[in-house]
Amino acid sequence: MSHETESKFQNTTGHVWDEDLQEFNNPLPGWWLWTFYATMIFAVVYWVFYPSWPIGKTFLKGINTIEYVNDKGEKKSSSWNTRALLLQDMNEASKAQEKWVSKLAATPFDKINTDPELKAFVVSAGKVLFQDNCAACHQSGGQGKFNFAPNLTDDDWIFGGSYDAIQQTLVNGRHGIMPAKGGNAALTDADVTALANYVLSLSGEQANAASAEKGKELFAGAGVCFSCHGADGKGNQAIGSANLTDKIWLWANVPGAKSADEKVAAVKEVITTGLNRGVMPVWKGRLSDEQIKLLTAYVHELGGGK
Amino acid sequence: MAAVGTASTEQYNYDIVRKFSIMALFWAVIGMLMGVLIASQLAWPILNLDPWFTFGRLRPIHTGGVIFGFGGCALFATSYYIVQRTCQARLFGSGLASYTFWAWQLIIVLAASSYVLGYSQGKEYAEMEWPIDLLIDVTWVAYIVVFVGTVMKRKQPHIYVANWFYIVFLLAVALLHIGNSLAIPVGLTTMKSYPLFAGTQDAMLQWWYGHNAVGFFLTAAFLGMMYYFVPKQAGRPIYSYRLSIVHFWALSFMYMWAGPHHLHWTALPDWVSSMGATFSIMLLLPSWGGMINGIMTLSGAWDKLRSDPIMRFMIVALSFYGMSTFEGPMMSLKDVNALSHYTDWTVGHVHSGALGWVAMISFGALYHMIPRLWDTKLYSTKLVTVHFWLATIGILLYITAMWISGIMQGLMWRAFDDFGNLQYSFAETVAAMHPFYAMRALGGLVFLGGMLVMVYNCWKTIAQGKAAEAAVAPAAA
Repeated sequence: MSHETESKFQNTTGHVWDEDLQEFNNPLPGWWLWTFYATMIFAVVYWVFYPSWPIGKTFLKGINTIEYVNDKGEKKSSSWNTRALLLQDMNEASKAQEKWVSKLAATPFDKINTDPELKAFVVSAGKVLFQDNCAACHQSGGQGKFNFAPNLTDDDWIFGGSYDAIQQTLVNGRHGIMPAKGGNAALTDADVTALANYVLSLSGEQANAASAEKGKELFAGAGVCFSCHGADGKGNQAIGSANLTDKIWLWANVPGAKSADEKVAAVKEVITTGLNRGVMPVWKGRLSDEQIKLLTAYVHELGGGK
Repeated sequence: MAAVGTASTEQYNYDIVRKFSIMALFWAVIGMLMGVLIASQLAWPILNLDPWFTFGRLRPIHTGGVIFGFGGCALFATSYYIVQRTCQARLFGSGLASYTFWAWQLIIVLAASSYVLGYSQGKEYAEMEWPIDLLIDVTWVAYIVVFVGTVMKRKQPHIYVANWFYIVFLLAVALLHIGNSLAIPVGLTTMKSYPLFAGTQDAMLQWWYGHNAVGFFLTAAFLGMMYYFVPKQAGRPIYSYRLSIVHFWALSFMYMWAGPHHLHWTALPDWVSSMGATFSIMLLLPSWGGMINGIMTLSGAWDKLRSDPIMRFMIVALSFYGMSTFEGPMMSLKDVNALSHYTDWTVGHVHSGALGWVAMISFGALYHMIPRLWDTKLYSTKLVTVHFWLATIGILLYITAMWISGIMQGLMWRAFDDFGNLQYSFAETVAAMHPFYAMRALGGLVFLGGMLVMVYNCWKTIAQGKAAEAAVAPAAA
């Protein structure tokens, strides 16, 4: 550090620290001072218009007023506040929606698609509603997630793909249960293997013919599978028992199996342990009736509903 | 220089300053590494290793590591250095000073370990549970005693401006930390506690703390740093003594009111919100007072910007300080805040202050101080230039990414279509932000790269200083 003589700088305060630290005695920059004053004036004006300083148990309300419609639909006017501003904003947004929401409420499901504008509304509102509420399980495109939530974009409906069935699914939720070994604990491992082979054969998968033959008997007899999945294995949408004759698998990892043995093992696992994970939550109370109707129409279109 | 250095080592307690300087570099690397990691976790969620190394647990290690580890150690080092040199007095209570060092390192290690294990008060920048809070309080009082004790035994009639800023930082942080950490432990053998206040009041107290942590920890104290190292490095007097007085008092007064702007559009009463917004606006010029005093100090020596990369760090730091203290008041206005709140814009704003101002001014100060502490010359000025450019490019990548991402996010959240429906789902906004999250992680990585260059340079400098000392020692004996 160079040793600068104190005399090198004029107009300092005369203090020197640590050999060479000094300060000029320059005045406050004018623009700085006047801008500082301007911010103070801004603040004072702000206080005049908006709620500000506390006084005892109340506060300066400000001269700004705001008009809004309250929760009961009454027109109100008060000093400016963010709660009223929120109501105002919400009302404005819902006013734009209102026309379409009431039109949707008045239109039977099967007529929605005959009105292209109403259909466009359902697609637009449904997309966001679906992504904010349903996509966490069914994924953003409704494609579902293996071993977790069913695919909504195919034409396979576990609890039914009619408007009414979808609406019921949303309103009351669903809970699919399959008891371990169909409820017959007496089934042996060989029995379960036979049933797995039969179930695989139903959808045209490679299976041990002899074992499958035995499985067929068990399916319709001691295994009591038929009571839920039906004698033909096509399932029953009223109780959400899966159609075993198509190639759609939600719980048994048959599509991901690398060999015939793995496929059998995957199906066996489901039969042995049963299922209690297929839970669709209840949406009534969390979504409005209008929102549920809208989502029903939206989801119905996703999979080309029935 | 050598003669002055040797004499200084005897006159002043440099040992404590050296220790804190080394730990500042250490925590900078750790804290910034955590930053790069959590930025990457946001961009590529697969990097979250459940349960210990998830974003939620690592994030306070990043913030605590850079603020209290890097920033804190840099402040301890520079304040102990400056107060001795400007008071011409050896540090008061060398044992106590030594205690502050070991306790402060312990606090950071304890805090970081507790976060990984899942302990957190859930208050931003005050995540430490009550036992750690108590240790902080004791240590902070020791720090105040050491610093103020040294000021009181000064051999200079006047207290240098840098010391005012350190004193207000010491007092305000004590007040803020105790206020925001008031809690009743669930039991003496548990880490958990009940906060004394609830709901909106608790939130208000938290952001009174949070904003003033920015105001007094990250601003006032680093202004103290600036007031010593900028005129020292420039070899010129401070631009205006009067401005330093006025902006010091205005800054200290105004900051205390600004906290509510963190809680606009919440359950916070509107009048509190307005007070926060207006005082934030009035805070603009007091903040700029520090920037003007720093930058104008260089007037008459602008050529140093070309020749001295350390000076460049300081001036760019002041420029970022000016920019983010302009951006802050704008964001505190309710209408701007309605767009910016909860978006990455806030994150970008914080980092333009934290990387641009706090880190850059600390780099400048450490580059100035470390050769003097070990009585040697900086190992490589060229590497300082390399560090400068890496840091600058890193910051620019970071804040540009966050500005775009944040404003886009805010606009997408509030967009309606012709039917009056929200136009985008939340998931769509997240998907849109992804490229900018990657860009932010890259910016952080570049900044960290610069930091590593600095560590190498400082390590070589210190080794060089020790070698020279060893060569002199036998001769002296």
